This record gives sequence, C-alpha cells and structure tokens, in this order.
Amino acid sequence: MLAFLVGEALRDLRRAGRVGVSAVLLIALSLSALGGFWVFSLNLGRAVDQWRERVRVVGYLKDEPSSSRLDELTRQIEAMPGVLRVRYVSKAEALKALKQSLGGQADVADQLPRNPLPASVEITPDADTATPEGTRALVRRLQTLPEIEEVQGGSQWVDGLAQFRRLFELVGLGVGAVLAAAAILTVTTATTLVLHLRRDEMEIMRLVGASETVIRLPRLLQGMAQGLLAAVIALAALEAAYALAAPRLEPLLPVTLGLQRAAFLSVPQMLLLMAGGAVLGAMGGLLARGRGQL
Amino acid sequence: MIRLQRVSKVFGEGPARVPALSDISFGIDKGDFAVLTGASGAGKTTLLRLLYRDELPTEGEIEVADFDLTTLRRSEIPRLRRSIGIVFQDAKLLAGRTVFENVAFVLRVLGTSRRDITPKAFAALKAVGLSARAQAYPNQLSQGEAQRASLARAIVKAPALLLADEPTGNLDEQMAGEILDLVKDIWSRGTTIVFATHQARLVTQLRRRTLKLEGGHLVKDEG
Repeated sequence: MLAFLVGEALRDLRRAGRVGVSAVLLIALSLSALGGFWVFSLNLGRAVDQWRERVRVVGYLKDEPSSSRLDELTRQIEAMPGVLRVRYVSKAEALKALKQSLGGQADVADQLPRNPLPASVEITPDADTATPEGTRALVRRLQTLPEIEEVQGGSQWVDGLAQFRRLFELVGLGVGAVLAAAAILTVTTATTLVLHLRRDEMEIMRLVGASETVIRLPRLLQGMAQGLLAAVIALAALEAAYALAAPRLEPLLPVTLGLQRAAFLSVPQMLLLMAGGAVLGAMGGLLARGRGQL
Repeated sequence: MIRLQRVSKVFGEGPARVPALSDISFGIDKGDFAVLTGASGAGKTTLLRLLYRDELPTEGEIEVADFDLTTLRRSEIPRLRRSIGIVFQDAKLLAGRTVFENVAFVLRVLGTSRRDITPKAFAALKAVGLSARAQAYPNQLSQGEAQRASLARAIVKAPALLLADEPTGNLDEQMAGEILDLVKDIWSRGTTIVFATHQARLVTQLRRRTLKLEGGHLVKDEG
C-alpha cells in the first residue's frame, strides 16, 4: 500500500508539470533566504559571544599604589560580585603599551617631560556580568573605592551587536515567512491542479470503497516530496554560495567580527531546514485538500 | 440484501424543490436479479445512488448488505462500497491507464497484496472475455469492450451486490446482448444484481423480477 501511495504521489508530481516546478523553486528560494540569514546570524552570534569574553572595565588610579596597598586593592576588587579577573597595569606598562601602539612614532612619547599615563586596574567581568546592566553595576562599585579616579569601559557596543543580530534574525524570519507563504500558495495551486486532473481517479476510488486516507495521502506526500526536493536544492545552493564566498570573506573576518573563519550550518541545522521544507510542502498539500473536495 | 421502507428523495428546497422519488418500498434478497426500469427521469439513477450512499433519502429507511444507510457514518461508507460493484452507462475508465491497470487500480486502492493483484485482475478480465486486450488503453477500445472492462473492474473485488446503471445504454443490440450475458453469468455465481435500463426490449429479454418507476413512484413490482 505504501508503495502505491508513494507511486501515486510521484505520478501527481509529474502531472503538476510547470506549476509543480514553480512550487519547488519557490520553496527552495524561501529556504535559501532563511538559510542564508541563518548562516549570517550564526556567525554574528559567534562574534557576539567572542566579544563578550573580551569585555573589560578599566579603573584609573589616582596614584601608583604601594605593593601592599595594591594587594589589598586587588583583593577588594576580586571580592566584588561579577569579577572574573583583575590585572594591574602600572604607569610604566601603560606607557610601554602606548609606545607599542604608536609604532614608528613612538619617539613622540619620549618627548614628554614625565609619564602622564595613570596606573590602572583592568577588570574582566564574568559571563553573567558582561552586559550593560552588569557592567554599569560594576562601574558603580569600583567608583566607591577611594584609590580610583575614573572608571571606563562596558559592554554597550557588544550589546549593540547582539541587538543588530536580533534585528537581522527578525528581518530574516520576515523575508522567509513572506516567501514561505508564497511557496505554500504555489504548492496549493499545484496540488489543486493535480486534484482537477485526478478528479476521475478520485471518483473511482470513492466508488470502489477506498478510505479517505488512501485518497488524500498522495496529496500530502506530493507536497512533502516537493518540499524535500526544494530543501535539497536550497542546501546545495547555500553550500555552493558558502564555498564561493567564505575564502573571499575570511581575511576580513578577524578585523571586522573578530572571527578566524566563517561557520556553516551544522548537520542538525541542515536536517531542520529539510524538515521545514517538508512541512511547507505538506501544508500546501493539506490546504489543497481543504479546497479541492472533488 | 436490499430493503427500502417508504423512501422519498427530494432535491432542492422551496420553489426549487424537485421530488425525485416518492414513498418507495421494496426488498431484494441475496442472490436475486432485479431489473429497475422506467423512462429517462423516472428516478432509476437516484434510486441507485441511494443504494451506494451517494445520496441520503429525504425520508424513509434503507438497508444494503446489512448496513443501515440512514444512520451510516461518513467514515463507514467505504466499507459499504467495498461490498458493491457499480457499472455506469459511460464506462468511466481512467484514460491514462491500460485495461489491466484500470482493473488492478481497484485492488491497489483497497490494499490487496501485490502478489494477489495480477491473478485477480486477470481472472476478472478473463471472466468478461477481455484478457487479450489487457494492455490496451481505453481510447483503443470499442464501446462494448470498454463496458466489459468496466464490468471487470466492478467484479474484481468480488462484490456481494452489483449495481448496473444503464450499462447497455450506449451499445448496439449485439453488444448489449453480450453485456447482458456477462451480467447473467456474474449473477449465476451468486452476486445480487440490480440492473437499471430504460430499454423495454431488454426487460423482456431478461425475464426477471421487474421494478418499474414512473415519475419517482414505484408503479410495478412483478416477476
């Protein structure tokens, strides 16, 4: 019986002709759009996670503390909630770092009569605190310490990136949803067309006592087959686009997103996309059933 | 096998109301052969459609093959129809399938095992004398052959009841005679037959119990 149902579904798929092909292409297009946005969002998410790990809060000190006072200060800061690490940067280290960053113009710093850079403590917040609220609270706590002149740093820009990622995902879902609706309507049209072509067959099936499941299942299977075929096409297109674009984009990734290489969809994510295609196709088949009780 | 009790059927409502059958009562026992006759529009086709539950009566009760059709749920209709073979004036063969495929199609949709489909389909085609035309497509058949293929499709599932709605209506006298002989042959093997025809000559030729309809009324039940 299963072989019969699958055979009928494939026969229907052939009968749908150009409308059937259009349905497959539209589903492939919507899944490609969704998949494309997914890949971008995936990499943005990786960048956000990576940048969150790099969030620092810097407390500039009024004076360079004595060794014993520095130990006490470090202990005090480490005891604060949300602090993962504390690193002391002396005035000399700060000047050295400035010279390194100036490169060829490092001798400008040598012209200074004295070292103007303050000593500082560089604080790495833990993952839970690396948020705008968390870092603001940490800044407030650090400002209560008498040794600290000024506090700088935070995660606002990382959260800006995270918000951009969320916006990007929403746009992706919106575009995908519009294309998916168009795809469902095309599958519905293709299946309805097949229903008209199959009117005589369905009449005979009903007259001889075939169950409604046997009569309706091929339509559902036809839709699912279209959806699966479209998902395979979409994945192949995405993979090809990734293979072409990734080598060209990867040199830019470390300086823009801070990533070493671009990631593609994992196997479970690809399977999810295929299931999405099957569901889109099946929905088209089911809607045609609702309209086409012939 | 069949029992109708004060059955009426009206199509439409209000001014568009068309009474098709009025107060029909009769019974047909298992293994009987009944001829349903009357002029075109007398209600023969409507009566047959009531018997295979394509329509519900407006009034009255109908029982077919132990199914009470007035209370039969929609989901149970396939079970009723599996016990009924139906033949129409137009053969209703599926154009894109061969004669063999048309007959086998019934068995496939009913879930018959793959192993049994071919021998059963060929046995049905042999019974109507069409084995040699098994691979022909409907547009390659004469009207008589198409009607025989339609008969093969109706009997392939070994129904207890065969409903024939003017199966000889489009055929010349010789072909009609051949179809009639086939139907009698099917009846002789124990199938209950209801044979609808408007052709008085066939009624005389058949010499079986005759139910005559006129304007939706049963005016004669004899034989």
